[in-house]
Amino acid sequence: MKERVIFHIDINHCYAQIEEMKYPQLREVPMAVGGHEEKRHGIILAKNDLAKKAGVLTGESLREAKEACPDLLIIPPQYEDYTYYTGLVKDIYREYSSQVESFGLDEAWVDFTGSRHLFGDPLQTAEEIRNRVYREIGLTVSVGVSWNKIFAKFGSDLKDPSGIAVITKDNYRDKVWPAPVRDLLYVGPATERKLKSRGIYTIGDLAGYPVQHLKKAMGVAGEVISVFANGGDCSEVTENGYASPIKSVGNSMTMVHDVDNAEDLRPVYYVLCEAIASRLKDAGMEGDVISVSVRSSGLEWFMKQRKLPRRTNVSEEILHAVMELLETSYSFDTPLRAVGASVSGLRPAGSFRQLSLLEDEEKHEKARRIDYAMDQIRGQYGFYAVRRACTVIDRPLTEFNPKDDHTIHPIGYFQGRKMSDGTL
Amino acid sequence: MELYKRYVDVVLMQKKTGRIVPLYLFWEDGRKYKIDKVISAERRASPVGGCGIRYACMIQGERRNLYLEKDKWFIESYQP
Repeated sequence: MKERVIFHIDINHCYAQIEEMKYPQLREVPMAVGGHEEKRHGIILAKNDLAKKAGVLTGESLREAKEACPDLLIIPPQYEDYTYYTGLVKDIYREYSSQVESFGLDEAWVDFTGSRHLFGDPLQTAEEIRNRVYREIGLTVSVGVSWNKIFAKFGSDLKDPSGIAVITKDNYRDKVWPAPVRDLLYVGPATERKLKSRGIYTIGDLAGYPVQHLKKAMGVAGEVISVFANGGDCSEVTENGYASPIKSVGNSMTMVHDVDNAEDLRPVYYVLCEAIASRLKDAGMEGDVISVSVRSSGLEWFMKQRKLPRRTNVSEEILHAVMELLETSYSFDTPLRAVGASVSGLRPAGSFRQLSLLEDEEKHEKARRIDYAMDQIRGQYGFYAVRRACTVIDRPLTEFNPKDDHTIHPIGYFQGRKMSDGTL
Repeated sequence: MELYKRYVDVVLMQKKTGRIVPLYLFWEDGRKYKIDKVISAERRASPVGGCGIRYACMIQGERRNLYLEKDKWFIESYQP
């Protein structure tokens, strides 16, 4: 088989760089893009070089950042602009290949294998793409070139001064293997802990570890990361840049203050689930896989999912599943900062519904009609015209409109492919 | 010499081919400048901030860069 050529291209500190491109004078001061301070949606999303030098960290709260760097200029994010400018950048990638897979706003894989005979040397092409993005959009990008997606991503994360890092079958043992195992895509803090307890510290350690032991200890996830470490990833670069059929509907939210118990979280999830249910109905879909993702104040992240016996697009039922999942899977040792939920396993909502002997059909019908009525009222009089009583108790916490406010969802690497261990 | 970003009103002609040609631009005080010639039109980032389609124009014998940024026009101006 012809060896693949895959680029992973990353817009360097994306949001901050776009702001600098729009207002070049921002390059002269320490600056970071972060959430609304007064609403306390506050974490640093991206920072410029001066802010980095001053010790500002991505992901820390605005207050912590101001402590590290009192002169820090904080700019609220302009998501519409980021979507627009990153879209222009990806249009440039698409001139080189039809296979461009977005990974969040700022990153993308480009499969160059089939275009090689048109453009020639991959390295020269990578350089050309870098130059064009800089000349035409005013942004710098880092490129990783390799024969698989995982090492290409590793390459762009190296932030090589030249902007391009090449990982080949001849050099990956020297370049990738000495790096800490955490640098491998999809090794998060939980997986890192499990690996370290087995004496696996570097990607090389992981590659050399017997795969059957990993599989036994960590399930399919263990097998997958072992393959990744050995350069055996052969997943394709999917074309998701243009409109693709929706596979899931989800919303997430950074809260105005951290929350340390399930009861306080319920109203927040009510608002999120109402938005999800409403968007599902707009799309004429219903789904049976409910996922919950949360990020703690320590910025650790995990996701759990479960399958419902029947598909739904009713907020009450989604909420019920979400809260059950959360209560059984999170201990609240660390308070939560951001929460999200999504519904997948989507099918067009049918007009027929198999009645259940075990569930209360009347309750379902009532919940469905409440949703419908609320959507109607909101459509006519605005989002805040009607709300559930429980969401009025802590207004600042629930004063957000996830359906219409701009939300950006990172796109999962596995694209809905199931992993046995949700914590991977 | 330092350049400044100045948004301006522009009179355009849309050709039947779909191409857009800027004809005149208006300064804030109402002065009108005729764009004598468009030398090139390419996507470029501007040193004064922003990016868009850069129309390199000849105006009264001088070359000036006029940008279409999303749906607004700005000029790299020598006057603050």
